[in-house]
Amino acid sequence: MRSRARDLEVVTSRAALEDELLSWMANGDWSRTPDRFERLALALFRIQYATCDPYARLCRSIDHTPDSVEKASEIPAVPTGAFKEFALRGFGEDQTILTFRTSGTSMDRRGELHLDRLELYEASLLASLRHALLCRPAGGPPIDRMRFLASSPDESSDSSLSHMFGTLREAEGGTDCGFDLRGDRIDFTSLLEAVRRAQDANAPMLIAGTAFAFVHFLDEADASGWQLPTGSRIMETGGFKGKSRAVARDDLHAQLAARFAIPEASVLNQYGMTELGSQFYDSTLVDPTGPRRKLAPPWTRVRFIDPTTSLDVATGERGLILIQDLANTGSIASIQTADIGHAVLDAHGEMIGFDVQGRAEGAEARGCSIATDIMLEASRTQAR
Amino acid sequence: MTEIDFKWPDESAESLRAARGRLAVASERLALRSFEDRVQAVARVVAAWSAPDSPWRRELAERLAETSPFHRDTIAEGLDSALRAWDPTRFIECARREIEQTCQEGRVALSPYASTSVLAGGSIPMPTLLSGLLPLVLGSPVLLRETSNDAVTPELLARSLAHCDADLAQCFESVRFEVEDAAAMTEFLASPCVVATGSDETIAAIRSKLSPDQRFVAYGHRFSIAVLGPGLASNDSRFDEAMRGLALDIARWDQLGCLSPVDVYLVEVSIPDAQRIADGIANALEELSTRMPRGSHPADLLATHATERLEGRMRAAVADTAVCREGADFTVLLETDARARPAPLTRLLHIYRADDEDALARLLSPLARHLSNVAIGGFDSEDENRVAGLMARLGASRVCAPGRLQTPPIDWPHDGMPVFSPMARFVQWD
Repeated sequence: MRSRARDLEVVTSRAALEDELLSWMANGDWSRTPDRFERLALALFRIQYATCDPYARLCRSIDHTPDSVEKASEIPAVPTGAFKEFALRGFGEDQTILTFRTSGTSMDRRGELHLDRLELYEASLLASLRHALLCRPAGGPPIDRMRFLASSPDESSDSSLSHMFGTLREAEGGTDCGFDLRGDRIDFTSLLEAVRRAQDANAPMLIAGTAFAFVHFLDEADASGWQLPTGSRIMETGGFKGKSRAVARDDLHAQLAARFAIPEASVLNQYGMTELGSQFYDSTLVDPTGPRRKLAPPWTRVRFIDPTTSLDVATGERGLILIQDLANTGSIASIQTADIGHAVLDAHGEMIGFDVQGRAEGAEARGCSIATDIMLEASRTQAR
Repeated sequence: MTEIDFKWPDESAESLRAARGRLAVASERLALRSFEDRVQAVARVVAAWSAPDSPWRRELAERLAETSPFHRDTIAEGLDSALRAWDPTRFIECARREIEQTCQEGRVALSPYASTSVLAGGSIPMPTLLSGLLPLVLGSPVLLRETSNDAVTPELLARSLAHCDADLAQCFESVRFEVEDAAAMTEFLASPCVVATGSDETIAAIRSKLSPDQRFVAYGHRFSIAVLGPGLASNDSRFDEAMRGLALDIARWDQLGCLSPVDVYLVEVSIPDAQRIADGIANALEELSTRMPRGSHPADLLATHATERLEGRMRAAVADTAVCREGADFTVLLETDARARPAPLTRLLHIYRADDEDALARLLSPLARHLSNVAIGGFDSEDENRVAGLMARLGASRVCAPGRLQTPPIDWPHDGMPVFSPMARFVQWD
């Protein structure tokens, strides 16, 4: 029997595949086209199987190779942790132009995403930012004032978040943009001056950063003087693992909305990870009347897996989040995360987004055995 | 008519004060009884739970099967094996040894605390049962907070006390309140002696709420391991016995207890023998999947297992010497390096190789603070003694044979502490 993957004659090279993805990302149409996704996903699987040896070995070990895989859902996924242990790239080490590293909160080794070209990577992140975060009502002014509560790309060249903010600034930012995190401290002076300039110009602005930086902001900033002009946006991302203080996401959004005097719908979370080329933003600006959920770009597919059987859970049930991201052309497109989530459905039972519940936590439910990476943390603490 | 469930904001704290009042009255009768009388009375309760046909154990197994995530057969086996190892005679001897020797010549006497608050932890019944009984031997009434996962064990313990000794039963109060209920927690922690089981974070939080004059006995979260030597593979009967024993240790309570082995360390074991050991444990776990299936645990707990399994699968696919054996409810991973990896529990085992005992010591020393029990096998007697000594120096509180990790005797020094004396207070007549 000929496999569907083998029948794909349209896209056989990574360059051709990237060309088609770039045109898909550029047209701004976020309606889902499953046939197109299937075709490109299978083509990309064939390329990645041929070019990334650790991935090919995994595929062969479970007998899911281009000869046997017929649907995108059958493409083997790699766990995010594998990016800590293997160089998952489909090109030579000498072709690497940029390497992003995870924050390394749970193990000594940090996950690495290697890139040999940036065009698709940046097109993907910009497409999502424009669609979900910078979208504006007809006639509304563009948002080109941007402040980032993160290190600059110069300061953190291996941070995918810093790179994203730098790319956004280059593509959409005006003259009043900047990074307001110095080391691990917020520069309240520069941030407040930028806010005042926006207030004076009555021009909307974007403040984006890590969730924990925003928690610091709430703890340390003066209580007043931070009202943002109408149309402004806040974007936060990341978790609190390894940090001294955690805040529930809903509480964080409510507090930020209150402090900046903007609607809660204008405070968005981004779900993303270093290992992915695409990101997922809250829906509140795109669909103000619908439930808050994460929006998946059409060149991605998000599934929810039963952790015991590895099969898809029933529609709407909680499961491990598995992401297929066609923007990951140079590494691996199918990634199993360590996060739990579920599909958000419309009235017809169709998936219109998803919700993320976070990672496994809650020691009491486990019994008295020391769990997961608590042991590793203990080990690291001792080793210092 | 609409029924309204109205709860006063300080209802739990009020209930606790009432319970404390009842304990104060009951403790007067307890104080009149001799130490030996109390030991014998509590030992009768221990006997009631450890008897071969114990109705208490049977009822607990049946009710936990309805309310806990563990599988019915796993609960029954876990309770039978652990509680039948509780020897009442050994309990009495341990109490006499620890307490009477301190009180020799009648110049030192027990001075019972007015109450002991016990903050139970986890979802495994044995620690809750024991921590509810020990203070009674010392003459201190018990205020025990149920865990959110297990309200059944305290209730049955109370009933078994009532069945064996009405006065003892009056000195035991099981209470329920949310940990976020600050008023109730303050009231609960007002006892002069507080016993708690929990994570480092939990223990630190409780300690911060106590005054220096309060006695605090803390049992932390721990993990257990097995250390196997080169002799195992050369003896088929010993090999099979060890594999079955380790699989049982892993499967009991789905590896969620601090006596569950999370790692196996192989010392001076060749790669082929290591692979045979991985296969042997996996095969034994496969058999247990039918006899003692893993329970229906929350998705987030199983998710960590699935993630680590997938990572292990990839390591095994890339490295010829690594092994990933998977079953419906277990994963066995033989690793190529000994770097510490997550222990997601729920029947996932990492196997690491150490070149020699020095290498083993280096691997374990960063983790020693959390080490609990160690199963040792596959060494000749001289080497076994040396490895056992090493484990003791690292802080292990018990060394045993594979298959016995989860069935410690009742006088096991939990976290390296004596059984009774940490909760005891003495007075000297000089």
